[in-house]
Amino acid sequence: MKIIEILTKIDRRIIYLILLIAVIVPLLFPSPEKVRVMPPVEKFYYAIDKIPEEKALIVDFDYAPQTAPELDPMGFAILRHAFKKRIKVLVLSLYVQPLGLARNALTQVVAEFNSAAQTNADSIIYGRDYVFLGWQVGPILAMLSMGESITNFYKVDYYGNKTDTLPLMKQIKNYNNVGLLASLSGSDIPKYWVMYAQNRFGLKVGAGVTAVSASEFYPYLQTGQFSGLMIGMRGAAEYEEMIEKNLNIKSRKKASESLPALTYAHLVMIIFIVIGNIGYFIKRRKK
Amino acid sequence: MNISSDPWIWISALLSLAIFSFLYRDNPFYKFAEHIFVGVANGWAVTFYWHNILVPSLFDPLFRQGQILYIIPFIIGMLYLTRFIPRVSWLVRIPIGIYMGYYVGVSIPATIQALIIKQAQGTILTPENFQTWHAGNMGIVWSVILFIGVLCTLSYFYFSKEHRGILGTASRIGIIFVMIGFGAAFGYTVMARISLLIGRLQFLLGPWLGIIQ
Repeated sequence: MKIIEILTKIDRRIIYLILLIAVIVPLLFPSPEKVRVMPPVEKFYYAIDKIPEEKALIVDFDYAPQTAPELDPMGFAILRHAFKKRIKVLVLSLYVQPLGLARNALTQVVAEFNSAAQTNADSIIYGRDYVFLGWQVGPILAMLSMGESITNFYKVDYYGNKTDTLPLMKQIKNYNNVGLLASLSGSDIPKYWVMYAQNRFGLKVGAGVTAVSASEFYPYLQTGQFSGLMIGMRGAAEYEEMIEKNLNIKSRKKASESLPALTYAHLVMIIFIVIGNIGYFIKRRKK
Repeated sequence: MNISSDPWIWISALLSLAIFSFLYRDNPFYKFAEHIFVGVANGWAVTFYWHNILVPSLFDPLFRQGQILYIIPFIIGMLYLTRFIPRVSWLVRIPIGIYMGYYVGVSIPATIQALIIKQAQGTILTPENFQTWHAGNMGIVWSVILFIGVLCTLSYFYFSKEHRGILGTASRIGIIFVMIGFGAAFGYTVMARISLLIGRLQFLLGPWLGIIQ
């Protein structure tokens, strides 16, 4: 009984320390964890995989640095998938903070593909294979305006080029030429894509969201409003597994590498929750 | 171990540690990092919006290109500032009214169609909805559970009648569904926060200290 009493009075700083150790040790001594791909991520993968040749994928990077550990691996995995399958890609951000993150992801993934390319046809070329639309004022305005004309709303791209001069944008006029929109967001943005772009123009939407908002987004998958759903680091790891298994993409799997640390941290949390509850019930019985 | 020589990585790492120091207790390092964050974020936002919205979308067309019609949004926008002059502060209602009118007009139909009608359709017991669970014959069971869950949860939030009899039973079942929902949300929140900690530690152990890749 005394042990339980001591355990229920552990200083919070000791709990933080134990949690820190539980996270650091698996990062220092990595042990690969088998990833089982769940239907929501599988659906997302095939929704992108089946985009017809004449249509494009829009990747909406809408997360700030604080949620990047969960959402960055999703962005990298989706871009690798699209470029490997030669799917045309448009990248944009509805807010300004994610622009740098989107640019980093594009630069790194394009460099990976181009370093292995033998010919111009194998390479990933700006304007031909992908366009970085950047950012414009007003998220809802962007969602509605792109249904009419993408180049009318994004008159210049992120780098200042006139979008109507880019070869890719001559083929991709509006949502009729878009196979799927992948919304990677730490907020409600995927829901807005459904409300404004899907509801009015029939755009297919897939969402990559943080774990904290997962329970809010599941209903949209069940109703078919989302063509797929990736949740947190776990969802990103599942997508990394899919592209490695199906497309033989051997790149760094940052989310998968983090899973052992996530597992051990959860175990620590569960143990402390159980201890706390046992202590609570013992104390209540004594009273 | 291959410690970084990049000063930006050092600044980022030291500020991360300063923020983490709050876990021990409030201290001057934490305060310093917090104030830097607030200052930099505000400074960055003001300059960004100035150079990317106000100048190209308003001041350039109005004052350099002479597009006189831009005077209308300029005046309406300036009315926001009347809030600081008590005598004419009522004028602030004009831009707020315009914005609210636009936003409500755009969002109400979309909300009803996408968030209410579609979501309600998802709870109806139809063969199409059974398939959405990807669970074979179990799809029917999950759909029925969802159907009961929605009805019971709604009945818990029905306060116009005392929760007795059928309504009482339904609302007691409803609270179980609500609690399961809270439990799932809490579990996911833990997962999210730990993921963020992992991300920061990967940065500290990787690019900064060079212990891991």
